[in-house]
Amino acid sequence: MAVWDLSVTVEELGPDAPPLKISVTSDLHIGGAILKIVDKTQIKKDWSDHALWWEQKQQWLLKPAWTLDKCGIHADARLSFTPQHKPLRLGMPNGITLKLRACFSSSVFRTVMGICKLLNIRRPEELSLLRPVEEKKKKKDKDVEGEVYDITCAPLPSGTVLTLANGMPAYFADSPEMEAVYKLLSVSQPAPPPETIVKMYRPMNVVDKAQVNGRWLDSSRSLLQQGVKENDKLFLRFKYYSFHELSPRTDAVRLVQLYEQARWSILLEDIECTEEEMMLFAALQYHIGKVSLTEPQMVVSSPAMDDLDSALQCLEVKMEGGQNNTVDDTMTTAPELHDYLKLLRPKKLTLKPYKQYWFKFKETSISYYKSKEESTKEPIQEMNLRGCEVVPDVSVAGQKFCIRLLIPEAEGMNEVYLRCENEQQYSRWMAGCRLASKGKTLADSSYSSEVQNIQSFLAMQRTTPRTDTPQTDESINTHSLVSPRYQKKYKAKQLTPRILEAYQNVAQLSLSDGIQKFLQIWQALPDFGISYFVVRFKGCRKDEVLGIANNRLIRIDLSVSDVVKTWRYNTMRQWNVNWDIKQVAIEFNGNVNIAFSCVTADCKIVHEYIGGYIFMSTRNRDQGDTLNEELFHKLTGGHEAL
Amino acid sequence: MDDIDAMFSDLLGEMDLLTQSLGVDSLPPEAPPTSQKETPPMNFSAGFTDLNAETLHELEDNDLDALMADLVADLSATEQKMAAEREGVKTPHSVPPLAPAALPTPQLQSDLSQPSPSSSSTTSSSSHSSSISPPPPPQSTKPSKEEIEAQIKADKIKLALEKLKEAKVKKLVVKVEMTDGSSKTLMVDERQEVRDVLDNLFEKTHCDCNVNWCLYETNPELQTERGFEDHENLVEPLSAWTRDSENKVLFQEREDKYEVFKNPQNFYLWKKDKKSLMDTKEKDKELLLEENFCGTSIIVPDLEGVLHLKEDGKKSWKPRFFLLRASGMYYVPKGKTKTSRDLVCLVQFDNVNVYYGKEYKQKYKAPTDFCFILKHPQIQKESQYIKYLCCEDAWTLTLWVTGIRIAKYGKLLYDNYKTAQKKASGSSIWTNRNISSQPTPSATPKAKAANGHAPQPPAESLPKVQGNQAQLPPPPPSLLNDSLPPPPPDPELPPPPPMPPMTGKSATMSSSGFPGNFPPPPMDDLPPPPPDDETELPPDFLPPPPPVMGGSGNFGATLPPPPPDPQYSARTSTTDSLPPPPPSPYAAGGVPPPPAPPPPPPPSAPAVRPTPSVKKSAPPPPKRTTPVQSAPSGGDFMSELMSAMQKKRSDQ
Repeated sequence: MAVWDLSVTVEELGPDAPPLKISVTSDLHIGGAILKIVDKTQIKKDWSDHALWWEQKQQWLLKPAWTLDKCGIHADARLSFTPQHKPLRLGMPNGITLKLRACFSSSVFRTVMGICKLLNIRRPEELSLLRPVEEKKKKKDKDVEGEVYDITCAPLPSGTVLTLANGMPAYFADSPEMEAVYKLLSVSQPAPPPETIVKMYRPMNVVDKAQVNGRWLDSSRSLLQQGVKENDKLFLRFKYYSFHELSPRTDAVRLVQLYEQARWSILLEDIECTEEEMMLFAALQYHIGKVSLTEPQMVVSSPAMDDLDSALQCLEVKMEGGQNNTVDDTMTTAPELHDYLKLLRPKKLTLKPYKQYWFKFKETSISYYKSKEESTKEPIQEMNLRGCEVVPDVSVAGQKFCIRLLIPEAEGMNEVYLRCENEQQYSRWMAGCRLASKGKTLADSSYSSEVQNIQSFLAMQRTTPRTDTPQTDESINTHSLVSPRYQKKYKAKQLTPRILEAYQNVAQLSLSDGIQKFLQIWQALPDFGISYFVVRFKGCRKDEVLGIANNRLIRIDLSVSDVVKTWRYNTMRQWNVNWDIKQVAIEFNGNVNIAFSCVTADCKIVHEYIGGYIFMSTRNRDQGDTLNEELFHKLTGGHEAL
Repeated sequence: MDDIDAMFSDLLGEMDLLTQSLGVDSLPPEAPPTSQKETPPMNFSAGFTDLNAETLHELEDNDLDALMADLVADLSATEQKMAAEREGVKTPHSVPPLAPAALPTPQLQSDLSQPSPSSSSTTSSSSHSSSISPPPPPQSTKPSKEEIEAQIKADKIKLALEKLKEAKVKKLVVKVEMTDGSSKTLMVDERQEVRDVLDNLFEKTHCDCNVNWCLYETNPELQTERGFEDHENLVEPLSAWTRDSENKVLFQEREDKYEVFKNPQNFYLWKKDKKSLMDTKEKDKELLLEENFCGTSIIVPDLEGVLHLKEDGKKSWKPRFFLLRASGMYYVPKGKTKTSRDLVCLVQFDNVNVYYGKEYKQKYKAPTDFCFILKHPQIQKESQYIKYLCCEDAWTLTLWVTGIRIAKYGKLLYDNYKTAQKKASGSSIWTNRNISSQPTPSATPKAKAANGHAPQPPAESLPKVQGNQAQLPPPPPSLLNDSLPPPPPDPELPPPPPMPPMTGKSATMSSSGFPGNFPPPPMDDLPPPPPDDETELPPDFLPPPPPVMGGSGNFGATLPPPPPDPQYSARTSTTDSLPPPPPSPYAAGGVPPPPAPPPPPPPSAPAVRPTPSVKKSAPPPPKRTTPVQSAPSGGDFMSELMSAMQKKRSDQ
């Protein structure tokens, strides 16, 4: 058999070195060729990660038993002998950039699996890689990009990953730097300065939102095949909005990254929400940020335990005390608040000023008297706050500390304003009102933390918002918590009370509960989980938008920007892609057929989305963490896969 | 028969012991707590009859029927004869004769009523077991008095402790109206969920337990109604009722309660045309439920459309385009589109409940009668804080009300449904068992007890009881029961009077031979008269005042029969039928010794509130206020008695 020269570029020889020429015959298998190459370089190192890449054909030669002939390699082929794992800069959902080694030779699906394993993210099938927007600006951005956290030293995970007790993979404990990176990944990031948010790109409409989906990498081909080079930057994102078994115990990184992605989708108005929802999101962000700063510890306050405690206390008293009431006053005196406060009952058409009374807060009720001296007599009025609405009406700058109470009564709501003198007084009474509205008393264990929460929130108002400082201990610019639309609409001090109002409902949540609550509300938004594509339906001349969600396809008419049609997957019989004319055709029950071509994305991406969601729906509980990769490719691959 | 006699005397002995020891020890501690806790003494006005019924039920639940039966038998030997005669007549008139029997009642009632509070918490569970295996009173074994005493003492300590805790627990006597207009009275404590109460009612009514059964709250003033969700605590919403409230609690089947889980497609795919939804496959329904209720987040149906909103404080209704979101109800302001950022929030659901509005076309000039309102549960009267909304048709109304419930309660609703389903499927078995067990004479009574109502007309029941138990297939615990006069027998309690004198009477009883005839448990059946009063049944029943008088002879002294309260006027026929005696019972409570602390009902009743449901339907003759006291003190005795009984049995 004829011997011919195969030229192979080996990076290790230096960028300018000429390609190696090795003599081969056509029946030499790939493995043999590699052996010859390694011999010829005369470099001693571990070559096990290297493989042959055929530049012209954009393909890896990964089957060592195949002969050159079988691979179709002839003397004109220019191969390069290169590592399969290369460094990649990876933008995480929380905004940090990691530098890590990723596999450039296997399908992106597998590459993502590897990355997720390295980062300790379960359910890698829900994530994928996104190309960055092509940047027209030049080098400036490089500076802006900020720090890149290098974790290329981490071993490539193979087999089971050893994890420490807190769920952290052992290799993150190798160095303080590594440990810091893990913390970055598993703890939510402080709120960004408002300017950052404003500067970032925000989609203005559905068509804008469709653009991003054109940038997903093809899951069935390798990075190198898709033109990704060493040290390029890609984004890791949750792609399929179908999150299987989120569990705070095992999903530290996954939950935090998901939360970050959700948070940014809110801040950047990628998903729309109402003002009320935005305030709740803001409150949760504030809360999560705050709890994350203090070492994430689960403070569980269970109402049942509180009840039990107080019940036991009472029992004791009863048993010892007998008929004597004095016991009540000494031993178990329930905490009370007493103070002179000012009261206002707003009435239509009358402008009455606040009037001062002596107030007593006991159990869940507030009573007031003409003066302290009269407090032994019957109160002027006693108001039980159970079930009432408590609304702060505060302005630190104006030294106004009012509590607005809407106390439900048979006839309607009894509206009362209490005006406090200062922050301290306000915090105590406010905390009492809040607890009472939930049926808890001042004796409740959460009282002091409630007081602190209120004070720290007031502190937010006191400090003049400095835009450049991210969230530190207690000061935060509330503009950092809302999207630019609301930054524009409200001043920070207007925003604070509104967020505070929403905050009182979430202030007692633990870190993981807070995150999960955020995710729940996010997922309950009507537009949640829809990925948009601009398409052109067969037979139509204008562009329309196709939305793909985890259970349905929706068709949106751009002229009215409203959903005109919904198809659910469970009525879908089959779908086909005509790769030549790039058209997706879907058949539904009842002889409904639709076909469309994709404008803003390759039809492979649309195809993969639909197949991917169907794959996600096949996962079930008892399956554990095993992944049916073959099925995924079957459902999402192109013709090559089949 | 001999056994029964023996048992009876045992029981009487026990009761004496119990009353003596209990009254002293346990009571004192409790009393203070109650008075302190329960704020301003709310008087509970519950129908007298109701109370009786209630207490009786409780007893059944606790297997005390035997005791009751004995007592009744004792007292009513003569009564029975009379009753039998009456029944033959089958006219309401029969009542009067009963009246005399009723007289004794007072004591019984007082005693009984007390126990209920304590037992209430456990009722549902305990009743369960009991009903399944109706434990006929252990006739054979007669524990010596010493033994009993020892047990009782041990129990007493425990009980006293529990009582102390219980004293804290708010309890309400709730009158629940059945579909047929009759009613049942239950003791509900604040820890009980609606689910527990429903289970309780299932046992009492022997209905089919399907998932549609629910407790409904009506408010005549606002013309609203709302089904309580199974996970809600019943006491809390009822506590919001005003003192003079005419609100009622109904026990009804409502299709809309869980319709969303039976046909989710109608709610989640409501935009599609009805026909295509008709033949949705089960598999697809399951998928919908899975998608919307089993994920990490609950998905609310994407309802949107024009509803009419009654402007705050104005009379006019304005159409607006509304959208339902998990976070609340929104509308599109004028000139804006329905994009999220422009929406105006009408209300968030944290603090409000959704109620159906009835006949608002007339009341508020609404465009249609398909209205719902959103209000804080505490608001009981018209107010600017109520949001009134009006839908185009009945289906839209159901959509919105259901959608709002999903938004408000989320997964809880689905969990409730699954629990209800289990209950429904389990119940059939349970009922069957029950029925099968009935054949035996002793069983029979039980079955009836379970029903709570004397099955059908009292007249029938009586004969059975007296005559041959064997024959008496326990009245079928059929649905009918519901309609039937509820637990008539109990209230009547004609038999009980003997109670106090028990011991002495027991002798007589046995001699009379009646007891022998009686299957101990049948108790309920025995007092046929009760049925009448209980149920609104035949209004005919003459109020047997006269009997009262007679009764008074015995009790009169003790009983200062509370004059019928005006409040009760609401209660109609029921009360009427009830002879005055009922009041007396309370008075009886006053009765010196053991029985009960109940006498001063108002004070004693700590948690007492205005009876939630006043029956309007009843013709309003005389009313009575029975101060029901859930007073713990009363409870002690009874509960101790019960526990002692149970223990005794179990030991045996």
